[in-house]
Amino acid sequence: MSKVVEIPIVTTEVPIGPQHPALHEPIMLKVYAEGERVVRVEINTGYNHRGIEKLCEKNSFYRDIFIVGRVCGICNAVHANVYVRALEQILDLYPNKRAQYLRVLAMELERIHSHMLINAVMAEIIGFETLFMHIMLDREKVMKAKEILTGGRVMADYMMVGGVRRDIDEEKRSRLRDILLKLKPRVEYYKKIFEEDETITKRLIDVSRISYRDVTSHGLVGPVARASGVKIDSRASDKYDAYGEIPFNVVTRNEGDSWARMMVRWDEVLESIEMGLYILEHLPSDGNPVPDEKRLPRKFPPGEAYTRVEAPRGELTYYVMSDGKGQNPYRVKIRTPSVNNIINSGFMYLEHSLADVPVILASLDPCISCMERVTVVDLEKKTSYKVHLKDLAGGRV
Amino acid sequence: MAVEMDKHSLLESFSIGKGVVKPNRKVYIVEPGSIKKIFHALIEKYGYESFYLSTLIGTDLKDEGKIRLDYYVILLPEEETIVLRTHLPRENPVIDSIIDILPGALAGELETHDLLGVVFNGNPFLKRGAFVPSDLVEKGVYPLRKDSGV
Repeated sequence: MSKVVEIPIVTTEVPIGPQHPALHEPIMLKVYAEGERVVRVEINTGYNHRGIEKLCEKNSFYRDIFIVGRVCGICNAVHANVYVRALEQILDLYPNKRAQYLRVLAMELERIHSHMLINAVMAEIIGFETLFMHIMLDREKVMKAKEILTGGRVMADYMMVGGVRRDIDEEKRSRLRDILLKLKPRVEYYKKIFEEDETITKRLIDVSRISYRDVTSHGLVGPVARASGVKIDSRASDKYDAYGEIPFNVVTRNEGDSWARMMVRWDEVLESIEMGLYILEHLPSDGNPVPDEKRLPRKFPPGEAYTRVEAPRGELTYYVMSDGKGQNPYRVKIRTPSVNNIINSGFMYLEHSLADVPVILASLDPCISCMERVTVVDLEKKTSYKVHLKDLAGGRV
Repeated sequence: MAVEMDKHSLLESFSIGKGVVKPNRKVYIVEPGSIKKIFHALIEKYGYESFYLSTLIGTDLKDEGKIRLDYYVILLPEEETIVLRTHLPRENPVIDSIIDILPGALAGELETHDLLGVVFNGNPFLKRGAFVPSDLVEKGVYPLRKDSGV
């Protein structure tokens, strides 16, 4: 007769991050698991805090446009846009229609490539690397489009007070239209893969389902909220820039799981492509969208402005306060969507298995920082070389 | 629309002053003690589904000897932004935490504590170093205070 040995279940602490192959961001999730079941998650931040709000207080209003553009590489145009609009509110100075349409075009291109990136990353995380490569290849077309429009493949620096930095001509218009038309069938194809592929649906459906009430009580924003049926979108409610004139639908779903969050993103990409085509078709010609930099006001009156923008990851807000005394803002407060979506999301991991943790994190679209590589310094040979995180994790260094 | 008016009259009953932040965000100035009561009343009357806390902004008003806290709340489903503004003494900035009734306040309270030194009574997760690098934490400096020297 065999003896039954009972192994007591103890709580194991599994630190994930700050550098980990499944995370593309310097954040640390301290996961406490009983067996495979997650019972508690602590989220540790602060690995990448650069003190940008303080830096903005120490630099002039106009220099800050370039500083805030560097908060995030992926969504630099929205950061610059929301800051510039706050300055325009304080100055009571507004751009013309053509500039507003061009701003929207730049931001929608950014949304397309950001959503494609996180969907590709999700495919990679669940082990579907071929799909990752294919999506990234098509994403490159959007980067090209962004370069045609703004002059920069990643860093746009496109927004300026009272307008944008570059205009487009007929040739650029037709090139942009060609790229968007070529992209559309590809996105529809990827959407179909996410709907039908067995690997993807098995790993994503029913993982971390959250309700309407969870979303509002935890202050979650963006595609995460819209996937749980919460219809919030600053583009539709604030109607900033040209969003009041360009037709688009706010995509919502009711499933509320990781799969729904990715599907909302694919549908938004399709909406953004339509918006881009609409803008290229109906671009107004009411003057030069590029203002004369020398004529911009040098003095800022006292005042405060709070502007919102729908960044790819959700509602991004800026608060700018001017005391009217100097060249620098008195206070700049940046609240990125990931602050709410990541720090408040500890409850979403509970009762899921350890293997689901990266999937849930990726479904929140954490703002990916420049942590893809690390530099190894060999003190003996006095050399340094770069290693991909995967190799580090696989012990191949 | 009728419900919307109700929310505003509820907020008005607590307010001791009014203002506006561009573009068109209504500001209700309230006592520090009322903040928790207001959120409690909003949840009691309209439920968790009727609003969310978007941003919590602390500003150091050094010349007035005050720290200003702004709670930016989005009223749903209209997505209207309103501001609950309160002032704390700079020497001893203490306010009741709302994290026990509204978990979405975690990020804002953590950040405001770490960067400005506001103490949220009843928040068990408050810690220095959530955002600020450890050398500043050791010096006991709050970087966003105007006299921090950072």
